[in-house]
Amino acid sequence: MIPTKAVSKEIERIDQLFYTYADGSSSMIDPEGIETLCSHLEVPHTDVRILMLAWKMGCEKQGYFTLDEWRTGMKALRADSISKLKKAFPELVQEVTRSSNFQDFYPYAFRYCLTEDKKKCIEIPVACELLNLVLSLQFRPQVEKLINYLKHQNEYKVINMDQWMGFLRFCNEINFPSLDNYDADQAWPLILDNFVEWLRASEN
Amino acid sequence: MLIIRGIALLLDVKYVKNVANLCSVWDMGLQLFRKHISLSPEIEHKTVTGLLRLIESERLGEAIDKTLLSHLLKMFTDLGMYSETFEKPFLECTSEFYATEGVKYLQQSDIPDYLRHAESRLQEEHDRCILYLEANTRKPLIATTEKQLLQRHTSAIIEKGFTVLMEANRVTDLSRMYTLFQRVDAIEMLKQALSLYIRGTGQGIIMDEEKDKDLVSFLLEFKASLDKILEESFAKNEAFSNTIKESFEHLINLRQNRPAELIAKFLDEKLRAGNKGTSEEELEGILDKVLVLFRFIQGKDVFEAFYKKDLAKRLLLGKSASIDAEKSMITKLKTECGSQFTNKLEGMFKDIELSKEINDSFKQSSQARTKLPTGIEMSVHVLTTGYWPTYPPMDVKLPHELNVYQDIFKEFYLSKYSGRRLMWQNSLGHCVLKVEFPKGRKELAVSLFQSVVLMLFNDAQKLSFVDIKESTGIEDKELRRTLQSLACGKVRVLQKTPKGRDIDDKDEFVFNEDFSAPLYRIKVNAIQMKETVEENTSTTERVFQDRQYQVDAAIVRIMKTRKTLSHTLLITELFQQLKFPIKPADMKKRIESLIDREYLERDRSNPQIYNYLA
Repeated sequence: MIPTKAVSKEIERIDQLFYTYADGSSSMIDPEGIETLCSHLEVPHTDVRILMLAWKMGCEKQGYFTLDEWRTGMKALRADSISKLKKAFPELVQEVTRSSNFQDFYPYAFRYCLTEDKKKCIEIPVACELLNLVLSLQFRPQVEKLINYLKHQNEYKVINMDQWMGFLRFCNEINFPSLDNYDADQAWPLILDNFVEWLRASEN
Repeated sequence: MLIIRGIALLLDVKYVKNVANLCSVWDMGLQLFRKHISLSPEIEHKTVTGLLRLIESERLGEAIDKTLLSHLLKMFTDLGMYSETFEKPFLECTSEFYATEGVKYLQQSDIPDYLRHAESRLQEEHDRCILYLEANTRKPLIATTEKQLLQRHTSAIIEKGFTVLMEANRVTDLSRMYTLFQRVDAIEMLKQALSLYIRGTGQGIIMDEEKDKDLVSFLLEFKASLDKILEESFAKNEAFSNTIKESFEHLINLRQNRPAELIAKFLDEKLRAGNKGTSEEELEGILDKVLVLFRFIQGKDVFEAFYKKDLAKRLLLGKSASIDAEKSMITKLKTECGSQFTNKLEGMFKDIELSKEINDSFKQSSQARTKLPTGIEMSVHVLTTGYWPTYPPMDVKLPHELNVYQDIFKEFYLSKYSGRRLMWQNSLGHCVLKVEFPKGRKELAVSLFQSVVLMLFNDAQKLSFVDIKESTGIEDKELRRTLQSLACGKVRVLQKTPKGRDIDDKDEFVFNEDFSAPLYRIKVNAIQMKETVEENTSTTERVFQDRQYQVDAAIVRIMKTRKTLSHTLLITELFQQLKFPIKPADMKKRIESLIDREYLERDRSNPQIYNYLA
């Protein structure tokens, strides 16, 4: 009986925490609630850890946490208070950066940014910020160049999922900055062919 | 020795024959002679050097005692000393002689001379063998000569002389070069030089936009001269013929699309009426030659688009020189590319023939006889939309009579073919107007737009640009062109004030009362019939658009049968299936677009593989 009690108490606390931030009318934590949450956690709401939190919760809509999502996430992080949640962050970061999880987190980050239904692409500026957010920890030099390129080119206005996944593959597989194992005859998305060409041209 | 043998004949025949270790008197004599000569190497040496000097001076063009030479050499042979004592130093000497001569001559003379010289040298050596050398010497002697005179210099000869000979079309010299090079196994080299020459020579002209006008005739001439050289100089060597084909194809496709367009234009010029002085047979010949060029073109769709556009103009304006020639060209294209390629072109001919019938039956119909306005005649081409190039619709306010005419025709046509939709392409119409000029009656052959403008002057003396624009409803640019053709061209039916080439909004026009011309029927050239730049680019653009669809369709077709396929294999198959040149990057673009539209997906575990999504 005791563990159940403890568990139910924990759930209670988790729920309580949820309602501190939830908007009464929609029974969700809305963007405003998230901002309050962030300020209590003392992280900016654009911090990658918030995105990781959303991933952990399996959150479907950008800027909104439902009760179910909240419960899943908090339980998984074993956190029922702000302080515990704060403490859980370093571990969460570690977890996400593990390659197997990152393969899931990375496309999640893209989908998370598709704010409207049926939207399949994100605009270049958003993509740049997102890249900076999720990839620059591991691949800073590549990401910097890539962002430079994306801002410089004017052929593409948006990035789709295929291209987005290509970026990660590029960072993982291609030697940087030598690029000696890049082969445009392979199935790289064209935007990466162009990126590499641009890199090589700017080198000379 | 004969005498000695005579004396000792009996001894020779009876005794020597039966004793094993003794030679005949004759042989013994020879042996002794040889022994004594070899005992004094000086004599041997002198004789050989003497012989070699004699031959050398013959090579240098002096007359020598050939009998002496021949006797001495015969002696060496009889003594069995020929190959050791004479042949070896002789070949060495030859080699040396021609080595020096080859280098010297190559510097002094031009290639044709050099080749002629080598040829005659080879012949001389050949004769020498017949005259006084032993037959066995021929092979090594000729080989030595070839080696020193040709083999060592092949690349220099090609470098120095090949292009010159090709450019000057020197069939005999080239033929000589071919035969000589064949002897020293340097044909491959010659072939490469040919390929380089074709690529190099044509490149400048193909890439030079200013020479576009003469490009096709240049290519035709170039090809003809190559063919002639192939036939007369290179013995129709198949490998050479393939080299010519390959290099030509490379050359003509150096610049994409534009040559295809120019070939189509060239044909238009040839097939258009007014091309006097060319007989039917000559025209056929030209068509055949152009077809050879067409075969090399990779972007056949570009050719088709431009050919079609020009054909349409010829058919609609009745400008075709000969319907037979037109049809023969279509047949040729059909044999070359299949009926799918010419399907639409043939459709255009059908439309024209059908239109004639429709016009005839219209004229006999009751509607036509009872309702038509009098004083005008009209004939209509009914064109099937898919077959013809697309023309932008252009508005014009037609004179009342023409409107009535159009309506009646429409009524007649739809009663015969119900469920069809007729659209009037006013920009393609042309008319003959009867005009009473003070100085005489004339007939003017004009476009529909021109006539609509002219008809306004039936009721008015003076009209401004704005007036005309309002009454005709013709689009601004088009109207300016039309007025220019009427008031600024060769035939000035209207007078413009102020004078000048360009049409300004404030310009005013009056009917030209003083108009006179020697002919009764006058054609007023319509400026809009000239090809505009926009028209040109739009044709090219349409071709590209079409290509995109074709790439998409090909990708989907391949993926539908294969279900999954690696990127490399897909690209390879696409290259096989698509008949026009395309860059891998463009293919990638199409693949990505299809991924976007969810026809394909990238395989989750292997990004190099695509899956077909049903």
